[in-house]
Amino acid sequence: MSTEVKEYALPPEVLEETVKASEELWKPIKKVKFRIYKYNPKRDYAPHWEEYELEVSKGMTILDALLEIKGEKDHTLGMRYSCRMGLCGSCAMMINGKQMLACQTRVIEAAGDGDVIELRPLENFPVTRDLATDFSAFFEKHKTVKPWIIRDEEELDNPTGPYKQTIEEYARYYQFTDCIKCGACLSACPTAATDYEYLGPQALAQAYRYLVDSRDDGLDERIAVVDVAHGCWRCHFAGSCSDVCPRGVDPAQGIQLLKGLIIRRKFGFRPHKPTEALPAKIAKKKEQ
Amino acid sequence: MEEAREEFVEYYAKNMGGVLGWFKARVYTIERWLYGAHRITGILIVLFMLPHFYSTGWHPGLWGDFILGIIVTFHIANGIRLILAELGFAVGKPLLVKKPSQRPVSLEGSQRYLVALALLLFIVLAVIWAYYALIVQAAT
Ligand code: HEM
Ligand code: SF4
Ligand code: SF4
Ligand code: FES
Repeated sequence: MSTEVKEYALPPEVLEETVKASEELWKPIKKVKFRIYKYNPKRDYAPHWEEYELEVSKGMTILDALLEIKGEKDHTLGMRYSCRMGLCGSCAMMINGKQMLACQTRVIEAAGDGDVIELRPLENFPVTRDLATDFSAFFEKHKTVKPWIIRDEEELDNPTGPYKQTIEEYARYYQFTDCIKCGACLSACPTAATDYEYLGPQALAQAYRYLVDSRDDGLDERIAVVDVAHGCWRCHFAGSCSDVCPRGVDPAQGIQLLKGLIIRRKFGFRPHKPTEALPAKIAKKKEQ
Repeated sequence: MEEAREEFVEYYAKNMGGVLGWFKARVYTIERWLYGAHRITGILIVLFMLPHFYSTGWHPGLWGDFILGIIVTFHIANGIRLILAELGFAVGKPLLVKKPSQRPVSLEGSQRYLVALALLLFIVLAVIWAYYALIVQAAT
């Protein structure tokens, strides 16, 4: 066996092109002013605005800009981020008045023709400090809808077969599984603006996601949680949640389908198609 | 003084949109405008009904009648759209495949036709009402 290692190198013209494109992406092209909301509830009487000017490039995201400001201009700036790639859901904030992920939004695109960017913490979330908000109530709401597959204990411990799903059964809930719990939807919801206890688009969409999962047995349990005063009937279909969702979850659709499901159930119709593919449920049916 | 400070801090720390939050529609889609308008018209109809119940002979006057017509016809037309959408009609099906920056189907799919139909119905009803309020009523 030969130990020769083959070297892989880009052809020079491709390499040159790549370097050029990268330089193009990171070359400063514009001065942008960042107006940032500064507030520490433990110390300040009221929030104030702070302005910072930065040279920005085409590839720079709002998060890049914030990290530069934090590193070089104002070490006290408070914010939350983690993955920098739109997956962890930590960095949602109000960018020029609309909820977006800081790591997925380019400064140039957010600024448009202007050269001012206004950053605020997510509305409808308590402020911890500056751009960082408190998510404990939000996560609590998510937990109340029981976001897990509910099954018979007996069946879970002694499974009688695999949980098969057809592509149609999978398609009923796949869209909602992409949620990263970024809170943008709850922040955009006008109902949440005056109702702190409203379960919110994220939790309600997740309730629907588990309700229509053919492996799930928790229909009654979960409907008892969402069919309440601060539950799904508080949604009046303003659609802002879906408008701002960075993952295409479309929670507004989930909530309307959820309401339809609950109404059908109330009038004695089948809420959704029965699940033929599951061994345990088939076994139960045969017994009867 | 200390109490006032606490109230202040609580207001800012809670960071709630408040009633004005219902109407922050500028950066969102048309459905958000309709949400605000539906709520306002609903509340205004209730306000109109108070003197109306006290004395059914009470009337908001010629132009008052016209404005009431706009309010009521909008509320009815948009209300029909909401009943349909909230029962799960026209909001589309959940997706199995998403584009890189997928826009919501519930807003930009067939529901938009429903919005157009609702606005059309509103205009038709409003014109009929205005015709009766301003021309037929005024003549008698
Ligand atoms: C044919 C006539 C009407 C229709 C079709 C209609 C339809 C609706 C619907 C579907 C909603 C629920 C909105 C949602 O869930 O998003 C609603 C809300 C409401 N309606 Fe009506 N309505 C009518 C007449 C009235 C009248 C006569 C009043 C006044 C007494 C009224 C006052 C309200 C109020 C205050 C709301 C709450 C608004 C909100 O929560 O945003 N409506 N209407
Ligand atoms: S539904 Fe969308 S906007 Fe809401 S928390 Fe999930 S990913 Fe964020
Ligand atoms: S569709 Fe419902 S949950 Fe979504 S923003 Fe509107 S009122 Fe809120
Ligand atoms: S930092 Fe993780 S989503 Fe933006």
